[in-house]
Amino acid sequence: MSIIAPLLIGFLFGFLLHKGGMTRYHKIVNVFRFTDLAVLKFMMSALVVGMIGIYLLTDLGVVASMPITPTYIVGNLLGGLLFGIGMAVAGVCAAPIAAGSGEGRLDYLIPGVLGMLTGALLFGLTYNQVYPALSRIANAGPIVLPEVIDANHWLVIGLFTVIALLLFYALERAIRIRSDKIRA
Amino acid sequence: MTWLITQLRKPEWSPYVAGAGLGLVTVLALVLSSRLLPAPLLIGASGAYENLVAPLGLALDPKNTYFKFVMPPGLTWSVWMLLGVFLGGLASALLSGTFKWRKLPDEQWTEVFGTSVLKRWLMVFFAAVLLEYAAGIAGGCTSGLAISGGVVLAPAAFIFIAGMFASGIVTAWILYGRRY
Repeated sequence: MSIIAPLLIGFLFGFLLHKGGMTRYHKIVNVFRFTDLAVLKFMMSALVVGMIGIYLLTDLGVVASMPITPTYIVGNLLGGLLFGIGMAVAGVCAAPIAAGSGEGRLDYLIPGVLGMLTGALLFGLTYNQVYPALSRIANAGPIVLPEVIDANHWLVIGLFTVIALLLFYALERAIRIRSDKIRA
Repeated sequence: MTWLITQLRKPEWSPYVAGAGLGLVTVLALVLSSRLLPAPLLIGASGAYENLVAPLGLALDPKNTYFKFVMPPGLTWSVWMLLGVFLGGLASALLSGTFKWRKLPDEQWTEVFGTSVLKRWLMVFFAAVLLEYAAGIAGGCTSGLAISGGVVLAPAAFIFIAGMFASGIVTAWILYGRRY
């Protein structure tokens, strides 16, 4: 296995996390306070560009298949709910802990990495008791939205892009009104 | 060329631009992993911590099926990617001159939670335990599930993102109180 490829992908990923401001506590927390939407802008832009690129390469036959994350509604949702708590408390998540460590952040490098390893250990040791039962509930397997709503994938990508643009417009407006109120 | 160097030295880019760049990275990951791995992989971080802790997991519980078969020890693709993320953050910080050893966040934290390093480090530790456990349950983290699942249009990603924002907003509201 080549180590250059994953190192390169990770390198670009970490570089962009830092340039996007995702290694900073206040940037992550403030998306939950609606005072700085950088996280949402970063994620939505990545999703729109990634969707177009990945479906295009698959349609053109450049790649044979894409990896589909399995959907098991209760586990995905419960995991997301617990994840959001951790993200709002620490102002960081899994990949920015590594990128921020590279920036010299000792709170990420020491308690952050130790915490991730401890969480990984606890998950592995309790896996048999927790995961199989949880992932069996409402498990739809590796499905994608175009199959769910029975529509062409380009229609879904187009809709997602429009929704993302409308969301930004509405949120930017809401933030302006909110900051005007704080100033007044 | 000078323009490129100026951009690389900037401490911060527009999040739209950096995010679009990350979208291209998922496409690059698909192309490279399709050629080099038995099954393609996009981006992720939470899995690497599991590979890294697996030797300890197996020492504590030699018959553990998770660390034996699902996330075995070893320098996997994910581990090299996580090392790359660290190096990418380092390179960007060095180029922009923002690298600095620091124990606390530079902005906002101390105004709300004070200057205690112990308090910050304990909160980061327990939050990180929760983050990694939650990523295990959900099937990935912000990159491995929200981004990698979202770009292939898997419903799992959008369910995860909805849960993450719902509890994140409530948690920030509780922590910040009147400052929210």
